[in-house]
Amino acid sequence: MALSVRDRFTPLAQDGHDGMVRNEVGQPSFTLTIDGKVVRAYENQTILSVAEENGIEIPNLCNDEKLEPTSACRMCLVHIEGYDRPLPSCNTPAQPGMVVRTQSDELFRIRRTNLEMMLSDHNAYCQPPCQVDCPTHIDIPGYLELIAKGSMKEAARLVKEVLPFPYILGLTCPAPCQKACRRALVDEEIAICRMHGHAAETCLLDPPVPFVKDPPTGKKVAIVGAGPAGLTCAYYLALKGHYCKIFDMQPQPGGMLRYGIPEYRLQKDMMDRELNHVWELGVDLQCNVKLGRDFTIDDLFAQGFDAVFLAIGAWTSNPLGTPGEDAEGVVNAIAFLGEKVEGKPVPVKEGAEVIVLGGGFTTFDCTRTSLRLGAKVHTAYRRSIKEMTATMEEIEDAEAEGTELLFYEQATRVITDEHNRVKGLEFIKNRLGEPDASGRRRPVPIPGSEHVIPCDTIIPAYGQKPDRSVLDEKSGVKWTKWGTIQTNPYNLMTDRPGVFAGGDAQMGARTIIECVAQGKLAARSIHAYLNGEDMNEVARRLELEERKPDLFDIVPYKPVEPKVKMPMLPYEERKRNFRIIEMGYLEEQAKREAARCLQCACPAAGQCDLQRYSIEHGLVDNRFHDGEPSDYHDYEVDLSHSFILRDPNKCINCTQCVRVCHDVIGPDCYGMFGKGFDTIVSTPFNVSLHDTDCVSCGACVQVCPTGSLMMAERKLTRYSFALDRCIFCGDCVEVCPHGALGETPNFELSFFNRFGPDVTLEKEDLALAPNYLVRQRLPRDKKETPMMSPLVRPLPPRSLRE
Amino acid sequence: MPEFDSAYRVLRRRGEPDLRSLQSYRQQGGYSALERALHEQTPEQVIQLVSDARLRGRGGAGRLTGEKWRIVRRQQETPKYVICNAYDADPRSWAARSLLERNPHQVIEGILLAAYAVGATEAYLMTRSLFREGIEALQQALNEALEAGLVGRSILGTTFHCTINVFGFDIGFIGGEETVQIAVIKGRRGMPEQRPPYPAIYGLWDKPTAINSLETLANVPLIVREGPEVFRRLGSEATPGTKVLTVYDAVPDAEPRVIEVPFGATLREILRHAGIRRPDSELRAVVVGGAEGGALPVSLLDLPFDFDPLEEAGAIVGSGVIELLPAQTCMVAWAMERTRYLSNESCGKCVPCRIGVKRMTGVLEGIVSDLGVRSDLDLLDELAGYVPDGSLCGFGIHAPNAYKTARRYWPEHFQMHIEEQQCPTGTCLPVRSHRFVTKHVLP
Repeated sequence: MALSVRDRFTPLAQDGHDGMVRNEVGQPSFTLTIDGKVVRAYENQTILSVAEENGIEIPNLCNDEKLEPTSACRMCLVHIEGYDRPLPSCNTPAQPGMVVRTQSDELFRIRRTNLEMMLSDHNAYCQPPCQVDCPTHIDIPGYLELIAKGSMKEAARLVKEVLPFPYILGLTCPAPCQKACRRALVDEEIAICRMHGHAAETCLLDPPVPFVKDPPTGKKVAIVGAGPAGLTCAYYLALKGHYCKIFDMQPQPGGMLRYGIPEYRLQKDMMDRELNHVWELGVDLQCNVKLGRDFTIDDLFAQGFDAVFLAIGAWTSNPLGTPGEDAEGVVNAIAFLGEKVEGKPVPVKEGAEVIVLGGGFTTFDCTRTSLRLGAKVHTAYRRSIKEMTATMEEIEDAEAEGTELLFYEQATRVITDEHNRVKGLEFIKNRLGEPDASGRRRPVPIPGSEHVIPCDTIIPAYGQKPDRSVLDEKSGVKWTKWGTIQTNPYNLMTDRPGVFAGGDAQMGARTIIECVAQGKLAARSIHAYLNGEDMNEVARRLELEERKPDLFDIVPYKPVEPKVKMPMLPYEERKRNFRIIEMGYLEEQAKREAARCLQCACPAAGQCDLQRYSIEHGLVDNRFHDGEPSDYHDYEVDLSHSFILRDPNKCINCTQCVRVCHDVIGPDCYGMFGKGFDTIVSTPFNVSLHDTDCVSCGACVQVCPTGSLMMAERKLTRYSFALDRCIFCGDCVEVCPHGALGETPNFELSFFNRFGPDVTLEKEDLALAPNYLVRQRLPRDKKETPMMSPLVRPLPPRSLRE
Repeated sequence: MPEFDSAYRVLRRRGEPDLRSLQSYRQQGGYSALERALHEQTPEQVIQLVSDARLRGRGGAGRLTGEKWRIVRRQQETPKYVICNAYDADPRSWAARSLLERNPHQVIEGILLAAYAVGATEAYLMTRSLFREGIEALQQALNEALEAGLVGRSILGTTFHCTINVFGFDIGFIGGEETVQIAVIKGRRGMPEQRPPYPAIYGLWDKPTAINSLETLANVPLIVREGPEVFRRLGSEATPGTKVLTVYDAVPDAEPRVIEVPFGATLREILRHAGIRRPDSELRAVVVGGAEGGALPVSLLDLPFDFDPLEEAGAIVGSGVIELLPAQTCMVAWAMERTRYLSNESCGKCVPCRIGVKRMTGVLEGIVSDLGVRSDLDLLDELAGYVPDGSLCGFGIHAPNAYKTARRYWPEHFQMHIEEQQCPTGTCLPVRSHRFVTKHVLP
């Protein structure tokens, strides 16, 4: 029996033409109120089109002005006074005196739930969050796909476009990308970081060059500091054809990579192989010279350098800051790590009792180095494990290797013997108070909880600061109140033109990958400076590029595929030696792990209406993850067509393609199939689009609100137009979905229904016809309905560009 | 106790005189209403008679038929159409097939009167292609009527023409929706259209179209023949007349009992008239309205069967199916089954119905499988509000009725499944191993 809603019938618009006036060309028009604004509308115009003409935006996903409305997406619902239920504005004709509200809490909720519903079965992945969260923005889906295919060198080349040291970072990066991996919604994140390490390891001795090196420009850049930021900057500037010379205070290049990272995490001989790629580009290096001691910035400009990049790092350890910090046995963390790398004697002896203070990466480097030296180590931190900035793997590894973790411990006093040698360290217990400016909860001491831990060495690893003594006021470079070099935040230029700064010296002690990202940005900025560009403009451009796009979650449906674990050196084999602990993937393992990537890179990202509305509606999560396979769809993509790529996984059943193909173009290639939840837009009998009557016009791609239909990349050809053969039939104007041929004066205006009785109207007719309106639904008689043959006529296979 | 025996106005019971042949139907006074209308009354007078009788649509919506016809009549556009909905969306309803099979001429006469009243010359009778006997009886009746000059050109020698096309199709539940039938006649995929604009203004081929259920139309000859006062004598004040119901007993594979009762009779009286006498203790619920209907507890058995009281209680007149659920029914499982069935029957056009009902099914399956948590009920309540608010047609508006009534009258069943992870009747088996969870990876 009929299903319908009890709703009172609408008063008829035709009955009383109240308020109807004719405009200057004679079209009857009237006024109505939308969102409190009195607007003018024409007869048979829908509310949506009136609103759009008057700059009132109503979200919609299934409406297009050349198509009959279908009101399937339920996004354009509005309140109309006198109706209980919200009605879709795309289908409701405007009527004189109507009062419409397009925004309300109820409508917002319905629209947001609509979007959530669509996204809960949207088996596609928008933008890759990993790439956004990586400071250098590596094309992660791209290189993982290459690794899965076995093209290791090409993968390394792709990474080197933005990150010159994929091998080194593969071992040392804390991998912010992996925290954002969308694969974690299915099972576990992908070992993104270790993957580029593997790809680069296969070609360390035969490195790929990301771009063809530009011819020499004759410009000279001095780079102070051979750490990650300086080396990266030199690498990309050298590729741009500039001459670079690096000055470093240490005997060997690498900066913190060499002197801060212990051997068991990064083998220095392997590191040197990758650093060689920089020298191979013609970059010069001068070691054992220190800024401020051996030369100044003015000296560099006097030597003929056109620009200076300061990447001096942060080499001054924060002091212990308690009474007795000058006692013998209180060790500088950075000096300790550096001396160990250089093979010098270190203050930690076998059997010694060591307390390392802090919760960052340096803390655990000191802890684990001391453990390998045979000491008994306590690692003490003021707050809890949650607030530690080191990664959880690092903390777990240190504990497994034998350190004792102490939390809520604040050092108050060094206990010394009569020779001012460390005997122990007095602590007071903390509890966590209110969050401070950094968002971490501030530790508050508990009175009376003082206690002493005996030890003979104390390594405070509370973080580092740049050495301010290297730059005096004459240099023209200013410092910020946090003790870092002051620069423009986007183009990285200091107050002195031509002097740039980056890395730890500009940010404070941070991760290697952030320093590399700054080195890369600085190289671009310096290149622009050397080309004489306006630096404000450069800053604006870089700011736009670095701006974080809005992302949102969608439910991926993919079968579970376990993570390939990195083979690690067993804990018992780590004692008393500095062997590398990550043993590296085998090629087959790497391919398998890389193939787990969901390839969450939709080419429609940025142009997708579903994405835009979801972001606008603040859709932060989806409540329908992790159901049964029958709760989601996993369709095959159809790539058989030469120009149009179909991915039904992204389809939201708006049927715009169905309607445009049937009503405007004519071949009728699409239709809705299936029933209930399994309804999907597809081709007749689900044949590939190639086998339909498709004329490759692309109108379906143009109307698709998501990335379900995409144009394949095509080589544009310039077609010649034979004026002597054209009969000005206007067919080309009519079918062109992009309006590319629309506005020439020789052609007639065409109407959307090419099968209707009045296909074309002369411009003059149009102006004279009072009842004609573009968006009018034309009554279509049965006889005049185009009869489409249901027969599928498969075409013979053809080559791509036949 | 209302007079049930005199309530058989459109439905012929077994044992009563056979009305399938034209001769016997005319002997019983058949087609006299048509004659009278064509010869003595203007279309406006016929509409006035139907309006005076306060005939409400039997298809489930309960609109005033006279009002609908008046709107169609008033339209300037021509041609106009009449569509008789004899589809029976709910496969468990036997109303349409019984009427077609046993009383086809009364339906034909109703269609002709409707066409005369609204000014249509073409009528469609939409029915399920699987109603073999009904279609055969109807075709035979149409042939007889055609030969007798009752259908076709110059009916009864007047200038009134009307052809009747019989259209058999089967596209599941949604085929009973009025705009779906328009789409099907046009050769399109069976999907509903947004109303307003209503078919009365903008219907088949964009022309004014009167769509009525066959039961509504079958009542029209009686109104014209006997007058609205006689018609109003039966039934309630708000809804005069009778309703054909299909009643199922609380046993598996129960035989349908097709009866005709006056509106306003209580559910208990209706059950007794259908020959079902069960103590209340054997029953869990009475489901009124068919697949999209709601379940009412036994305490509401004295509720009158009428549009407004049923809707207040959470059920609908709907397809006119009344089912009994035995006492060992778990209402969570029942709501899940109903929602799951409807999620497969949706046409898939609008988002709330296509995905919303599916997600409700998923959450209900989780609760039945004892994986539910308390917040699931909030989610279900939210979706049960969202789906009707957002949906395009009546299918979506009524789809959450099963959940809503189960939750309203048997909250303890949901509580028990969620709090104690136990079925209140011990009958539920797990149907899924994963429940929906909220996740987001992005900071």
